[in-house]
Amino acid sequence: MLDVLRAEIGKGLRVQLAHPLGHVITLLISTMMYLGLQFVLGQGELREDLLPRTLVAIGGYWFLQYAALVMVADLIEEKRAGTFAQAQMTSAPPWLPMLGRLITASVFGLAVAAVASLVPMLVAGITIPLRWAALLPAVLLGVNVLAFTFLLAALALVSPMIGALQSLFTSLVLLLNGSFLPLALYPDWLAVLARVLPTTLGIEAITQTLFEGRTLAGVWSSGTLPSLLLHTLALTAVSGLLFVRNHRRALQESS
Amino acid sequence: MIEIDALTKTYGSSQVRAVDEVSLRVPAGSVFGFLGPNGAGKTTTIKMMAGLLTPTSGRVRLGGFDVARQRSAAMAQFGAVLEGSRNVYWSLSAWQNLMYFGRLKGMRKAQVADRAKDLLTGLGLWERRNDKVGGFSRGMQQKVAIAVALIAGPPIVLLDEPTLGLDVEATRTVKRWIAEQARELGTTILLTTHQLDVVQELCDRVAVMRQGRLVADLPTRELLATFRERDRYEIRVEGAAPPGFEAVTAEGVSTISVRVGDPIEVYDVVERLRAQGVVLESLTQVQPDLEDVFLALVSEPSHA
Repeated sequence: MLDVLRAEIGKGLRVQLAHPLGHVITLLISTMMYLGLQFVLGQGELREDLLPRTLVAIGGYWFLQYAALVMVADLIEEKRAGTFAQAQMTSAPPWLPMLGRLITASVFGLAVAAVASLVPMLVAGITIPLRWAALLPAVLLGVNVLAFTFLLAALALVSPMIGALQSLFTSLVLLLNGSFLPLALYPDWLAVLARVLPTTLGIEAITQTLFEGRTLAGVWSSGTLPSLLLHTLALTAVSGLLFVRNHRRALQESS
Repeated sequence: MIEIDALTKTYGSSQVRAVDEVSLRVPAGSVFGFLGPNGAGKTTTIKMMAGLLTPTSGRVRLGGFDVARQRSAAMAQFGAVLEGSRNVYWSLSAWQNLMYFGRLKGMRKAQVADRAKDLLTGLGLWERRNDKVGGFSRGMQQKVAIAVALIAGPPIVLLDEPTLGLDVEATRTVKRWIAEQARELGTTILLTTHQLDVVQELCDRVAVMRQGRLVADLPTRELLATFRERDRYEIRVEGAAPPGFEAVTAEGVSTISVRVGDPIEVYDVVERLRAQGVVLESLTQVQPDLEDVFLALVSEPSHA
């Protein structure tokens, strides 16, 4: 089982690194877009009070956007090309190669998020304080993102329109998870809607620990941490069930 | 051995039967031709054999293992080259592809490396092993796909249009390889192709599908013999053919083509020609080839 997982991850990384220029361009676009937007929102200046919070938020978005892109785009392309079918004809259970794909996607998502965040930090001199209390919310944010990515992949098994749905959701995340403005500045109804989307609750919990100095107990009592935990568990369960259902459906309907 | 029992696949609410109660036995070590026009249900059947599609009813067993109930063991029994798909990663090298698929099949790294070296050498790709497959010719890509299907040394190989789009040289290599696998290694090969000369040359047995059903399943020689009763004769005569005979005339010689149910009827035809003073040059029996048989089968009611 581990051998299959290692083979899948190794293949995924090699396929991604086969075209490194594409990743460099993605990084440049991501960084420029963020700094440009902050410059416009700051009415001609980069506001030091907003930059650290929005950078954490857009870091979460970059992780989600890139992990989903690697996972879903590759899956759709492989289904079209036939390599997905070839990889299915093995003794391994079908979820195992999918797990390998998810790990590859998370590695690339994290790498892009890290490098794309580092550039504005260096260029604009943004400082983000590091606190141990942020570790658990950060881990939950990671699981939250991967569960959503797996859900999109499960949909991609049967729906050729998943690309459009993925764009819609990731755009909503970018607009509402705090990448432009901190969540605290949103009207209440919009903040409620934003919290339903992946990453938002994770960003909120991390922000509370890093920038408001709250302890984990404080984040728990504010309701953010329990909500993040529930959201992540629900997303994980739904994506797992959807994968089982859609894998079965794909086997019944493939033509 | 491949065993297929009453395999059926229906699609959608209209219950269209893509495959209808198909039963087959492919003996170990044989090359089996699986033919049919486009849309006959061949690829659907192959996908069900490969565990990529769940049958509505019926059963497939590969090497004695039920694909539905003993999937893991059944998957270890075969390798496949699927039609119309790349089968391999173009952004990886031939070597990386083989290492990946070998390990996915549960082989150890050292085992895969040894096997990959043998296969790439055998297929003439060893020197190009580290080149990306996307830069290969169609024939070389197909050879890599075949090597992937064989990487774990499966006793059964499913080849869906393995020579499609290949040039003469690459087709010859693939044909030679198919023959070697079956004759020397005892591999069971199920082959679908529209190139009927390839089937006639290689296959021990042929099955023909039409509209989801099997219309023939016979040893190749027997299948051809079945249609021998419809043998055609070509009679070459000097000058123009007499009235009542359809012929092609070229360079002062007419070729009259006649189809008879019983060979004795040929004497009647010759007698009629002689009575009209026609000078006979030659009389040849035209043996049916697989193309004739195939066309007859897919345009007539069930034959099997």
